[in-house]
Amino acid sequence: MEKLKQKDLILYSGLIILGLAAPYLFSAFKVQLTYLCVLIVLAMTWNLQGGEMGYNTFGNILFYGLGMYLTASVQVGMFFPLAEWTESGGEKTFVHTTAQYFQGIGVGLLVAAIIPTIIAGAIGYAILGLRGHYFAICTLGLGIAAGEIAGGIEIIGAGQGFTTPPFPAEIVDAEARGKFFYFLSFALLVGTFVFVKYIYGSRFRLILNAIRDNEDKAEAMGIQTMKYKIVGWMCSAFFCGLAGGIMGGLIGYIDSTDVAFDGREMGVFMVLMAILGGKGTLWGPVIGATLFHFFKEGLWTLILGWQYVALGVLIVVIVVYFPEGLMGWLREKYPERFGEVIDEKDRKAQVELK
Amino acid sequence: MNKIAKLFVTFISAITLALVSFTSSFAKVEGEYIVLGSAISLTGKYSSNGVHTQNGYNMAVDRINKMGGVEVQGKKYKFEIIYYDDESNPKRAAQLAERLIKQDGVHYMLGPYSSGLTKAIAPVTEKYKIPMVEANGASRSLFTKGYKYLFAVLSPANQYLEVAIDLAVEKNGGKGVKIAQAFEQDAFSQDVRLGILDAAKRTGSEIIIDDKLPKELNDMAATLAKVKAVKPDVLVVSGHTKGALTAIRQISEMKVDVPMLAMTHCDAAKLSKQHGKKSEFALCASQWHKNLSYKDKFFGSGKKYAKDFQKEFGYDPPYQSAESSAALLVFKDAFERANSFDRDAVRDALVDTEMQTFYGNIKFGPGGQNVAKPMILFQVRCKGDDCENRVVAPTKWASDKFYHPIPKWSERS
Repeated sequence: MEKLKQKDLILYSGLIILGLAAPYLFSAFKVQLTYLCVLIVLAMTWNLQGGEMGYNTFGNILFYGLGMYLTASVQVGMFFPLAEWTESGGEKTFVHTTAQYFQGIGVGLLVAAIIPTIIAGAIGYAILGLRGHYFAICTLGLGIAAGEIAGGIEIIGAGQGFTTPPFPAEIVDAEARGKFFYFLSFALLVGTFVFVKYIYGSRFRLILNAIRDNEDKAEAMGIQTMKYKIVGWMCSAFFCGLAGGIMGGLIGYIDSTDVAFDGREMGVFMVLMAILGGKGTLWGPVIGATLFHFFKEGLWTLILGWQYVALGVLIVVIVVYFPEGLMGWLREKYPERFGEVIDEKDRKAQVELK
Repeated sequence: MNKIAKLFVTFISAITLALVSFTSSFAKVEGEYIVLGSAISLTGKYSSNGVHTQNGYNMAVDRINKMGGVEVQGKKYKFEIIYYDDESNPKRAAQLAERLIKQDGVHYMLGPYSSGLTKAIAPVTEKYKIPMVEANGASRSLFTKGYKYLFAVLSPANQYLEVAIDLAVEKNGGKGVKIAQAFEQDAFSQDVRLGILDAAKRTGSEIIIDDKLPKELNDMAATLAKVKAVKPDVLVVSGHTKGALTAIRQISEMKVDVPMLAMTHCDAAKLSKQHGKKSEFALCASQWHKNLSYKDKFFGSGKKYAKDFQKEFGYDPPYQSAESSAALLVFKDAFERANSFDRDAVRDALVDTEMQTFYGNIKFGPGGQNVAKPMILFQVRCKGDDCENRVVAPTKWASDKFYHPIPKWSERS
């Protein structure tokens, strides 16, 4: 075990160095890299439900959107009247000083982490009793409803949308904004990864797996499944809220259904990425999100107007040829590499039987 | 685990290599081309208007290039546009603007379609100090943010239907009217709503129905049922192309009688063609109409533009195309007056723009909006089954008298 740890250490420090150097190496791609970090976070947290617990949720977008609105609202509301800021066509313009901007976003992100977590607990208590398709459909409704409701709340801009505070003008460096959001999202990614990796080594994961494999049996064994399901969802909500907060600041403009509660895109993407990489694995969502992002950024502009058709084809290909995702596929092909012991005699015997 | 680690390292290095070899090869001015960038909605809910916009841009690029291009420091340049599809999504639009500027090295931008997307792109162009001439973002809140690099050739959204309310009040003998209104939940329509609120306050009119319509707009029966019950003097609907189509479809199905129906986006929706007589008497706000008497040397008059456009794309140009073409004329004019490719010089030249195009006079106010051009209203009128948009206000260009009130459905053939 110790040897492996050393190798892991090299891998992780390599990745962190790469992550820290990335905005300098690929300066022009900072925004895309920030997106990548956020996408990976969303895929990893979705995997906790969809992959480990066997609950296919479409509701995580709710926490992402909430985080986005909360961060922006707090950032504005701490210093200026929020209603006047968002009032459509308002002639007033407020400007955040540098200190106000960073204080605001700091507190905002804190709120964006805590409130969605609490809401996840409350909603989870109400709906995590549903299973299978019923749960999936119910959570699908959550995201859509949230978008429509947010589109009607005047104080956060309603249908007008919400322009988040611009990056302080006193910082002259045009690259500063990109770097700030990149490092913020990278820190979130590292935090999420460490957390998920910790879960992977804990009893908690085994419980989630037990729920996935046979919930009734798990309950019969004395596990309070409801409690663990709720806690699992709250963990996801925490990181989704943070991811949303960062994205809101980066995009600079929040629209209720197209940016915040964007179930049609982000909500579907997070599921797709986790499945592409292989759900129920640590690295699966990371690889899935990375591949997906490259596919999207690289190819979509080449096939203007047909990108959603290509996405549809991709989904079909994944579902038909890689139902277990890339990691699952690799595992089937090279089980030894995943530490699975293969009994050669047994395998041969099986082949002969066929 | 270590094998997976190796795989992963290989994967990462492959990506790194790919990224490094992917350096930007474009520049603001490449050889004889001035490269402009634009994110346009080719898919998604704004796709039809996105295509109108793109056609407008392309038509102007072809025309300007054919007629000698842009002359800067004695050398002739041609326009070229890099397009991306923003999928009618503000998040995507902001990301693509960043991409156009940082990766493709674009130094001058053309606007996307719709106010929401312009709102998402403006902070990006502003950050990098990239002049953007936009033709399809009318929301008033765009012009109150103090943006320095944003220029809009169109009139702000709150002016769209104010005139219609004035007309209604005039027909009512100067007394306030009862207004029923329904607006889509988006930046543009909500601004049109603000304009109506202002007009209502000014004229002492009363708003008796104030409904919100969802973004994926295909049903407004609930609003229309209310309208049938309370009988307002004016019904105002705004929700881009889909809003106009849905309104006419359901008003005719439900036989809703209302003396005056005011809308936006009738010409983009090709109402008079798609719904024919059902759409008759609808009053529509428009940035432009081909019968206006403005002229320039590239497109001649509005009528000539409409004819050329029809020949090239096979349909009558809606104002979205006309204003998009005008954006290119503004850029050309600014480049020539700046006589330089320096972004700030071009920006300063844009500030001083004062010109006439086939689309209308263009002069930018302090917020970047066009202050030299009034909005016009037209009414759909039919002769037999042949329906047409006729300008009814302002009186200077009116070809027809405003028909009021709309006859009841029971009296219409």
